[in-house]
Amino acid sequence: MLNNIDKQLLKTVADMEGLPKGAYNIRKNGKLLQRQTSANIDIETNAEGTGIIVTIKPGTKNESVHIPVILSEAGLYDVVYNAFIIGEDADVTIIAGCGIHCGTSAPEGHAGIHEFQVGNNAKVSYVEKHFGAGEGTGRRTLNPTTKIFLAKGASAQMELTQISGVDEANRVNEAILGPDSLLLITERVMTEGAQTAISTNNIILQEANSRANMISRSVMKGNSKQTFYATMDARAKCFGHIECDAIIMDNGTNETMPSLKAGHPDAELTHEASIGKIASDQLTKLMSLGLTYDQAVNRIIQGFLK
Amino acid sequence: MLELKNLYFTVPISDNGNSGERNIIDGINFTFEQGKFYTVTGPNGSGKTTLAKLIMGINPISRGAVYYEGRDISSLTITERAKAGIAYSFQQPARFKGITFRDLLTMATGIEDEKQLMDIIFHVGICPMSFLDKEVDAKLSGGEIKKIELALTIAANPKLAIYDEPDTGIDLWTIGPMVHLLKKEISRHPTTTIVVSHNRVFLEAADVVLIIDKGKIAFSGDLTDALPFLTDLNVCTYRDSCGGNPDAE
Repeated sequence: MLNNIDKQLLKTVADMEGLPKGAYNIRKNGKLLQRQTSANIDIETNAEGTGIIVTIKPGTKNESVHIPVILSEAGLYDVVYNAFIIGEDADVTIIAGCGIHCGTSAPEGHAGIHEFQVGNNAKVSYVEKHFGAGEGTGRRTLNPTTKIFLAKGASAQMELTQISGVDEANRVNEAILGPDSLLLITERVMTEGAQTAISTNNIILQEANSRANMISRSVMKGNSKQTFYATMDARAKCFGHIECDAIIMDNGTNETMPSLKAGHPDAELTHEASIGKIASDQLTKLMSLGLTYDQAVNRIIQGFLK
Repeated sequence: MLELKNLYFTVPISDNGNSGERNIIDGINFTFEQGKFYTVTGPNGSGKTTLAKLIMGINPISRGAVYYEGRDISSLTITERAKAGIAYSFQQPARFKGITFRDLLTMATGIEDEKQLMDIIFHVGICPMSFLDKEVDAKLSGGEIKKIELALTIAANPKLAIYDEPDTGIDLWTIGPMVHLLKKEISRHPTTTIVVSHNRVFLEAADVVLIIDKGKIAFSGDLTDALPFLTDLNVCTYRDSCGGNPDAE
């Protein structure tokens, strides 16, 4: 049964108002809460009982699957291994996300290890939001790992967002791109107080004409700290781009390390990175439109993390 | 409508270890009348943009006062001046990540309704409808962002509109319609319009030309009378060092 806290967490991390249409798997406090499959999307518990296998039939179009995780049990650190097998020519959306509600001084955490096999010419859109809430002082930790393998002509668009309330995050994204494949990753992380977040990305452009674009947007408030590593490793004629921007507010700190490796003479790799406070010309412009200083700051951050 | 009273903007300077002050705006007195078109011109570094920024509150005034509709607005913030009906087009508009022309239009007008926003763009005429959902970021060309900047100012229906070099980056075919548009706004509202520009088209369009030189108003009047001053300023901008000697190197 979903209580009010569960419903609120699900709404925040997976935009779910009640149970979604189509396939879903809701995990609460380390256990399956509810599951539904569809004609084209199967969900089963893996052999080890440590996670799920989501299998999407070839040719499945315009379907979605929700797989949110919610935690509210003091002291629990939940680790789950999920696999996604996306059939050829499918075009689907996967909505994941984890919400932690901490009501005590005991820590709570979740590590979602997700592995995607995206078939020939298949398209997947993956949306993941992380969020922490609750009046408890227990440390909230989220350590997701995402591994993605793109077959010929496959594409994946990944939107990874850490909204707020997560004390510690250590994210790892790994990808291997097949021929003519496309990977777009957009990561948005906002930290505050004494929170820390580390994001490590390793994208291997393995085959000819593969393309990857990694965008990272970070906002550090209070005394929080974020570290961003991204490597584009080109092993064929390919195109890769990293764009990482960080806005420092208050006394936040940031380390950003984009890295490009061209192991093929026809590789085209670029990156752009910036760290700094909100530009004064942006604030002045919005104030000249009638916004107050605080409204202008909020609007710029909101757009930056949109 | 807008009165500048003994206006100064002073910055500290340091020269060979000696510190002092320099007046970027040096005691300007001037009254702008409602519904008139003013073009402010003058050599580079003469203080034109600084003067415009003092009116908008972007730079703080050092001495003197700015009166707007009979009220001393010298201590008002940029936000308060915007809410009082003053709009400002920047010479180099800010670029944002994740903020679209639609977002800025909504901020400028308070309007979110799609049809009303389309009506505004249609009325302004200078930006295609396709601009609406464009991000106002580094991908826009210099001309595109200037068109957006101009449209935002007009869309706000200001009582006083200040345009700092609106023609920079704009193609030749747009400058004429741009002047026509500003004139139309004056006749509609009437908007008091101040344009900082070196462009002859704006000088010809002005009811009053103001020539700023070394932080002072060197001339104010119509273009015909301004031409000798402009010619003089164009010929020699090193008068201080050459002493007016035409043979000086």
